[in-house]
Amino acid sequence: MKLIESKTLASAAAQIEFTAIPSTFTDLIILCSLRSTSTDAYVNINLGFNSNTANFTARWLYGLGSGGTGSASSLVRYAGDLNTANDTANTFSNSSIYIPNYTGSTHSKSFSTDSVRETNASANASAISAGLWNDTAAITSVQLDSSDGNFVVGSTISLYGVLKGSDGIVTTS
Amino acid sequence: MPTPTYTPLATVTLGSSAASVTFSSIPATYRDLIFVLSGVVSAGAGEVIRVNFNGDTTSGNYSAVFANGDGSNTASGTEARRFGLMYVSRSQTVASFMDYSATDKHKTYLSRAGGASNAFEMIAGRWANTAAITSFRVFPDANGFASGSTLSLYGVIA
Repeated sequence: MKLIESKTLASAAAQIEFTAIPSTFTDLIILCSLRSTSTDAYVNINLGFNSNTANFTARWLYGLGSGGTGSASSLVRYAGDLNTANDTANTFSNSSIYIPNYTGSTHSKSFSTDSVRETNASANASAISAGLWNDTAAITSVQLDSSDGNFVVGSTISLYGVLKGSDGIVTTS
Repeated sequence: MPTPTYTPLATVTLGSSAASVTFSSIPATYRDLIFVLSGVVSAGAGEVIRVNFNGDTTSGNYSAVFANGDGSNTASGTEARRFGLMYVSRSQTVASFMDYSATDKHKTYLSRAGGASNAFEMIAGRWANTAAITSFRVFPDANGFASGSTLSLYGVIA
């Protein structure tokens, strides 16, 4: 796993983007520490590939600090929950996004996410999700948007590439 | 440049459908293993993927607990050797095997698995054996992995 690029916001931004992603890896991993300026009760990360926002579907499973659990599919580009301006100051959400086989040109692109919105208050949330971009294009850029408001100053996000290959010892059959 | 923490051990992209894939001769030089599957089923709408370690096919030696959501409903349960999910649309399973080479503890794994068009779940599993994992076999319940499915194994350095 090698770092491709890391960003720390010096000013609030509605979108964070990685461009010119090299095609030399097998998979991509994105690790985020984000917070939104929004005052909405629930704000999430929306994912885009190659500046496309169409042909996405998602399903997620969540648990809330209040004890509630559930599953939903209404937010088709869902990639994790965000801490908001309603939450305890200086608290940021954590999300990891795994994108396998991002360079393939014969299959649609799937991704999975694992996120937590820890607020030191009652609105805690943890979620896992599966996403699908029904497009066969190789992924060359990734966009992350806050569903409402902007990402705050100090938000950080890193993009890693996972190399394919063989150690010459492990075999498959 | 930070030190790479995932070492690629093996990657296979299937040229034809396969009932199972086995990773063998796994060295004991890493702390954990990461398994990644990106694929689709070779037939049917979807299947549970299961795992065997070191050729042990005795179901009673395995246990797993899972929780999933299909976009509307949630469910949880227990099922031996449950390891992943795969559907007719692109699906994935990402699993971690912790301390796989230790010889003083049962082996455990955590999976995130499923697809956006169907359901997604988390799984915690255990193999009740203290042997170091040197091989494992993954296999869908009824049919197989379709051509084009990619399976990778990585070693994580402590």
